[in-house]
Amino acid sequence: MSTFVQATTVAEAVGAMSGGARPVAGGTDLVVGARQGKAPLPESIVAIDRLDPLRGIELSGGRLRLGALVTHAEIVAHPGVLEGFTALADASAIVGSHATRVHGTIGGNVMNASPAMETGGPLLCFDASATLESVAGSRQLAVAELLAGPGETTARADELLTAIEVPALPGAGSCYARLEYRRQMEIAVVGATAVIVLDGGLVTDARIAITALAPTIRRVAEAEEALRGTDGGRAAAEAAAEAAAAASAPISDVRASADYRRAMAAVIARRAIEAAVARARGENVPVPASPALHGAV
Amino acid sequence: MATVEEPRAAEALFIRPDGKEKVTGLGRYTADLNLTGQAHAKLRYADHAHARITRVDVSKARALPGVLAVLTHEDVPDVKYGGMVQDRRLFAKDKVLWEGDVIAGVAALTAELAEQAVSLIDVEYERLEPVVDFAAAEGAPLVHEDWESDSGDDTMGRDGNRIGYSTIVKGDADAAMAEADVVVKGRYTTDCSQGVPIEPRAVIAEWHGDRVTVWSSTQVPYAARAGVATVLEIPESSVRIVVPLLGGGFGAKCDFHFEGHVAALARAARRPVKLVFSRREEFVAVDHRREGMVIELETGAKADGTIVAHRGRLVLDKGAYCGEGGFFAQMAAMHACGPYRMENIFVEASLNYSNTQPSSSIRAPTAPQTCWALEQQIDELAHALGLDPVELRRRTLIEEGAEGPTRQVFEKLGMKETLERAVEMIGYGRELPEDEAIGVACGWWPCFGAPSGAYVQLHSDGTGTIITGAQENGTGAVMAFPILVAEQLGMSPGDFSLLYQDTDAAPWDMGSCGSQTTFNSGRAAIAAAVEVREQLLDAAAAKLEVDREDVELVDGEARVKGAPETSVTIVDLVGEGGPFHGKGSGDVPEAPECDAEGCVGRLGMESFLAPQLITQAAHVKVDRETGVVRVLKVAAAHDSGVIVNPMGANGQVTGGVVMGIGQALTEGTQIDAEGRQRNPYLLDYKLTTAADAPEIEIAWVETPTANAGPKGSKGIGEPPCVATSGAIANAIRNVIGTPVRQLPMTPERVWTATREGNQ
Ligand SMILES: Cc1cc2nc3c(=O)[nH]c(=O)nc-3n(C[C@H](O)[C@H](O)[C@H](O)COP(=O)(O)OP(=O)(O)OC[C@H]3O[C@@H](n4cnc5c(N)ncnc54)[C@H](O)[C@@H]3O)c2cc1C
Repeated sequence: MSTFVQATTVAEAVGAMSGGARPVAGGTDLVVGARQGKAPLPESIVAIDRLDPLRGIELSGGRLRLGALVTHAEIVAHPGVLEGFTALADASAIVGSHATRVHGTIGGNVMNASPAMETGGPLLCFDASATLESVAGSRQLAVAELLAGPGETTARADELLTAIEVPALPGAGSCYARLEYRRQMEIAVVGATAVIVLDGGLVTDARIAITALAPTIRRVAEAEEALRGTDGGRAAAEAAAEAAAAASAPISDVRASADYRRAMAAVIARRAIEAAVARARGENVPVPASPALHGAV
Repeated sequence: MATVEEPRAAEALFIRPDGKEKVTGLGRYTADLNLTGQAHAKLRYADHAHARITRVDVSKARALPGVLAVLTHEDVPDVKYGGMVQDRRLFAKDKVLWEGDVIAGVAALTAELAEQAVSLIDVEYERLEPVVDFAAAEGAPLVHEDWESDSGDDTMGRDGNRIGYSTIVKGDADAAMAEADVVVKGRYTTDCSQGVPIEPRAVIAEWHGDRVTVWSSTQVPYAARAGVATVLEIPESSVRIVVPLLGGGFGAKCDFHFEGHVAALARAARRPVKLVFSRREEFVAVDHRREGMVIELETGAKADGTIVAHRGRLVLDKGAYCGEGGFFAQMAAMHACGPYRMENIFVEASLNYSNTQPSSSIRAPTAPQTCWALEQQIDELAHALGLDPVELRRRTLIEEGAEGPTRQVFEKLGMKETLERAVEMIGYGRELPEDEAIGVACGWWPCFGAPSGAYVQLHSDGTGTIITGAQENGTGAVMAFPILVAEQLGMSPGDFSLLYQDTDAAPWDMGSCGSQTTFNSGRAAIAAAVEVREQLLDAAAAKLEVDREDVELVDGEARVKGAPETSVTIVDLVGEGGPFHGKGSGDVPEAPECDAEGCVGRLGMESFLAPQLITQAAHVKVDRETGVVRVLKVAAAHDSGVIVNPMGANGQVTGGVVMGIGQALTEGTQIDAEGRQRNPYLLDYKLTTAADAPEIEIAWVETPTANAGPKGSKGIGEPPCVATSGAIANAIRNVIGTPVRQLPMTPERVWTATREGNQ
């Protein structure tokens, strides 16, 4: 017997979840995955799409708060995100197609925990944290600790993600780029995030993450190390990108061979770094960065 | 029934009768139909690509409450069927030959119950080595152990796993090759690919006594009717096939597919039964894909470009069953020669069985891949000769009076004109950034003469109905019939409704395949209209008391030539009596003469009737570091004879080019060592999206053609995707300096070629 509850309050939602219900937000992973045969629809579902407390983007006191229901389209349209968290806008701007971006939420993207998902790299690099709520109460943990493996999070099944909080990093230039075989409806075969802070022309803070190159999206300390203290120029970007490629653990599958992925890790990471540096210098790199970086017209 | 309306846009000749319902969402496709009391079907597919079935136990499935019927080969007549070779049964009996082979069918109260019942069917197998490498199939275990007892076309040259073998032989290619100034060689391989209609197929069957009506998303209703009659051993007159709106086919819905399974289930369930495919089934279970190929070519020329010798060895993947695709070896061999003047030729093509999805007609079967290989070789030849590739084509393409591969002497055709138009539109030779380049490719495709039939009748209020056996697959070909008929009768296209896609209503038709709808079915519709025209002229002559020869039909009137005031409206004429109805077929054009004496495996492709000629030029940009290719513009120049409906024709080229780009760059089915598809879903079988579509500029070279179709037209549907991948390949080569010899030319393959070329 399958059940479906349309929650109107957070309490109702977490109540249903404590009884075993799975939340559905935009449904673009859950429902599409079920129709594709990935996993059957859960027996018990609670729809959370009408929970107002899970909506809205707020930017105040040096923190960005994204309600779990914030859609990719809303992220891309937000001036504060575009300005201070550009990599996140780059990421949301290339999710699926327009229809996917209007329905798909940041909460669903994170909780689905695909190693190829777009927003993970930017969230890791900006040290984002997640607020989880259950009948037992609420807790906060770093997104880095939340993402545990392909399709796995460290959240308990009865925990509802209510918001993502991202501390601002003043002066940072950032970029997320992915390899794209076609212009829409793509999935990251290789993705890279770079967040760069410059001071007096030198890199004082560098954060690099690789996407779709390991069981989880991960930061690469060696790449960050390779950039710190440099001018962020081509040589430094290349060295850091090589480090990112070396830290990757790519697989061979229908999308690409491991060799190609590793080689592309260096290319895409370098491009993301160069764009982040350019943005940190105040130069204009359009959002999303991917098409522009890959030379498309 | 649909009615033609007058368009508002000046450039449109008419609004296609099915246009509004499709655009507004009111249109009803097969899956939208629901019959009272209908049950739902699911099929049980093979668990292995090649295995002997040792036991099938359906008892648990039959016992599941809500299950109305479970059928295996034991429950239907033991009949083998298939277009050119009868090598297949409705339900697998002794062996399964590919992952989509059907072992059993279930009808149940709900689709979920049917799915559950399917999973309860126990099948035991003795696994056999799957033949996946089709190029090595000749020494491999037999896919069809009893192939010799399968009936089929004897000219195909069947021999074990080789189901077809054809050669094109002209002069002495070996001797001429030895004398050539320059010789180029290449080996090219292509992945198989898919038609991917956006509408996954659906079939509903309902019995009335011993007659069955089947609603099916098929491109070929009459072949479906014949198939149902054959497998159930009932007369064709007991089978009616109706096609609601068809949501695309691209060839994938040609041939008889699942109508027999569903009809058998409906009979057993004593209820209407409905089958609707998932997207995965649309990849894995349909016995229709574009064939993978291995193409080895060698071309020798004199210093001035004259092609003195051409040799080719092609192997094509037939997959597990023949279907209607048994002619592919000869078709590929003709395309390996292309629309060029070649003095000496030896091309051989083998069509091999394998334990993978069957290959059958997908939009211009065999042509895009073969053209892609040949056109790369022509460019290489040009480079080796120190000639511009366009200049080499100017010197070697066919023209009026030239001899084809089998010494067919061509009448007037616009091959070279298409080259000039395409080159002009793309701006060939202009300065481009270093990561951009232009490539050019030429190709051809024959028209197919086939019988067809139509009725035209006028109603008492002066409107009329066209009844045609033709099938509309979305191209708009059938939708243009009112134009053809109205023109004969001095009426307006909007005066006519269409009754189509119902085998009980109209005469036999080949279906929506082979770019033949306007060519053959249009001819029939015109012939039927001509009969009505004669009736109208007779009636008008009597009414106006004038000579019949003096009457003309114009603007809804019959009037006296030169004295238009002496007239009677068609409304008045038909109101007064009749009958005003005609039937027609027209004469099927005959294949041109040729000399194919030395060729084996002749299946009718050895000469090309009213050839459709193609040049496409592609302007691409290559990201050398990643191998990602973006197509910026395609210029497409076609000689399809006289264009009957410009908006429809342009639509065919636009769609064909976009499909061609997918085939060129991203669309390939990957198969694992066990014979299973690795990417049977749209995330990893990458179609070209609207965002990827480049600017497409189209030119029609309208050449008066011998043996053409209505008004001097030729086919249009298939050619637009023939030359696209070749043009893109040559453009890529012009950027990276080295050819990419695998299709699709994925980013990884382009990247690999770039690196290897740099070493
Ligand atoms: C055509 C298409 C293209 C796509 N392209 C991309 C792409 O380019 N990049 C990309 O990253 N993704 C892509 N996706 C995946 C998907 O759209 C995104 O991950 C989207 O952000 C998911 O959000 P949703 O609200 O639809 O998730 P849902 O499907 O509603 O949920 C996804 C999962 O998260 C859980 N969940 C949702 N919200 C919460 C919550 N608040 N608390 C706890 N658990 C929750 C659900 O139970 C489910 O397990 C694509 C999907 C489609 C269909």
